[in-house]
Amino acid sequence: MRVSAISLAEINLENLSRYRADLSGLLDTLSPDLAVLPAYSALALGLGTGAFMPGPDFGATFYIYSADNEGWNDIFLDLHADLAREKGLYLAAGTTVERKGNSYYHTAYCFDPAGELCCRQRQTHLSQIEREYDFSRGEVLDIFELEGPGGKPYRAGLIVGNDARHPEVGRILALRGADLVLHSGALEAGPNCWAQAAGMWSQVQQNQFFAVEAQLCGRMEGLPFEAASAVLAPCEITPGKSGYLARGYPQTPAVTAGLDEEARQEIKNNYPVLELLNRGAFSDLVNFYNDPEEDRETERMYGFKRY
Amino acid sequence: MDLNVIKQKLFRLYLAWICRPYRVKKHLKSSLPAGRKPAPVNRRRIRAAALQLEFKLVKNPLDYVDEMHRQVAKAAAKGTQVVVFPEYNSLPLLGLLPGSGELEERAQKSAEGEKDTGNGIDLEVLLPDLFRYMSPVVQPLVHALFSSLAEAYGLYIMAGSHTLTENGDLVNRAYLYDPSGKLKGAQDKVNLLPRETTWNIKRGSTFSVFKTPLGNLGLPVCMDATYYETFRALELAGADIALLPIADPQEYNFWLALRGIWPRVQESPLYGIKGALVGNMAGFIFTGRAGIFAPLELTPAGDGVLDEVEPCDREAMAVADLDLEALHALRADHPWRDQNLALYRRYFPEIYGSQI
Repeated sequence: MRVSAISLAEINLENLSRYRADLSGLLDTLSPDLAVLPAYSALALGLGTGAFMPGPDFGATFYIYSADNEGWNDIFLDLHADLAREKGLYLAAGTTVERKGNSYYHTAYCFDPAGELCCRQRQTHLSQIEREYDFSRGEVLDIFELEGPGGKPYRAGLIVGNDARHPEVGRILALRGADLVLHSGALEAGPNCWAQAAGMWSQVQQNQFFAVEAQLCGRMEGLPFEAASAVLAPCEITPGKSGYLARGYPQTPAVTAGLDEEARQEIKNNYPVLELLNRGAFSDLVNFYNDPEEDRETERMYGFKRY
Repeated sequence: MDLNVIKQKLFRLYLAWICRPYRVKKHLKSSLPAGRKPAPVNRRRIRAAALQLEFKLVKNPLDYVDEMHRQVAKAAAKGTQVVVFPEYNSLPLLGLLPGSGELEERAQKSAEGEKDTGNGIDLEVLLPDLFRYMSPVVQPLVHALFSSLAEAYGLYIMAGSHTLTENGDLVNRAYLYDPSGKLKGAQDKVNLLPRETTWNIKRGSTFSVFKTPLGNLGLPVCMDATYYETFRALELAGADIALLPIADPQEYNFWLALRGIWPRVQESPLYGIKGALVGNMAGFIFTGRAGIFAPLELTPAGDGVLDEVEPCDREAMAVADLDLEALHALRADHPWRDQNLALYRRYFPEIYGSQI
């Protein structure tokens, strides 16, 4: 399966038609079976096209956007469903803010080659600032089936934003059978290579799945976003054993690689990391998270409520 | 009784005699400092050492004693308060066995790039039996040695891990000694390498945390650092520092070596100290880079490394200062960490509870 991670660098975000044309052209050039867009894609496009007025800073802008974006979400999602159908590929459209009653979620969407929604995933772990914005956590991790070339099935999951740094997410997906995870990320510009290694790279190595990591490249209301998009795999099946099948620079518009499922299965057989995990030794984790007495201790130690 | 069995028993009695604790202590007595007091503890500056030892078989147990002493003295001279040795740290004592010269020869050939013909001996098959045979000899020596060194230098010493028998089972066990020379704690390796599963090593069933003035210490062993769960469990049990012995049996590669303690201290904010065994042993090539690691936010270069030795195949030592107050401040006001109880309650019983 051929996969691409797209950063949105060099894609016109100021006009919906131009955006669609640019993205369409890029997808034609890359010819992937699956493409992933970064986090905040809907916000970036909404601001760029003037669908939303910016606030005085990024935080305020995000807040304004979250409060009233339902109509825009429909436009954004329809456009990407349409593109997926037109190109005959799986398209993870990045993220937007989803409102459900009084709750707000940071949510990623993926469309299949028929343009149907095949997965919607809410971010499950919030950063300090996302908690301040009063976002809610998703409580479910969905796995969906992709059909690769020749009808070969892959089981996949979406990893949204800050979830890349929480290994529980990758582990739950892997132990429930994920072969591939699609990550939509956005990191504030800076020396991000180590944070990325501690995120998706690390999740890939300890779960032996493939990952397509799309990181946003762009500036929104004074805040620059930059990190390297990548296609990742277990070290043993990558050039130089680096864990990267393809890796861009922060300004690279897209990276593309082929996934060799047979090679992944071979390394899983030779070095079965998940089978070697002594799961029973971690039953205390189940007990810990079920113990209400631990709530107060967690709040004391970490400064946030566990739920 | 079979003559060979009698010979083996007699030889083990001989080994026990030459490795006896009294002999070890008597040998050390003349060279040890006279009971150095532990340095006062400043929680903003705990000085730690991670040792990288080059594997060498010994013909005389006192050579092993001297080598471990030299390493501790070297760390103590840097003002360290806690010292971390590698995994399989008593492996050099296999040199006391007859035929060990052949192991050395095979190691030499391997180091020179010659193909190992094996000479009809499969060390992989032999090793578990050798560990079992040596365990009653090794265990008292290890206790006498590291207890004496910890007391004499006023240090916490994580003595590395040792493959020993307990109730007939082989275990890969790490030991921690306190500055009074007492055994503070032990930890059996919980997650095993494929090779160790074929050796029928018994897995540990839980992780312990040991409270000390230097902070709460955990002792995961090598492969345990492959999994985020290990460090999460340690952190939730109150650990501040993970003392990790490793012996990585593969050619050095930066990325492969990165797949252990480094990502683990990013996922669960702890300090991590890695002692590494390097060198050749009968065709096994151990590589690594001992080091001291921390969350990105607590390292000057933002790379998660406080100190890491340069060579991957020679003796070396990493030394760094740990700031427990900064670690606790980071945990209390962390920019991106979170917990999701509803999610864990939904999935954890299925993924961790099924094998209880």
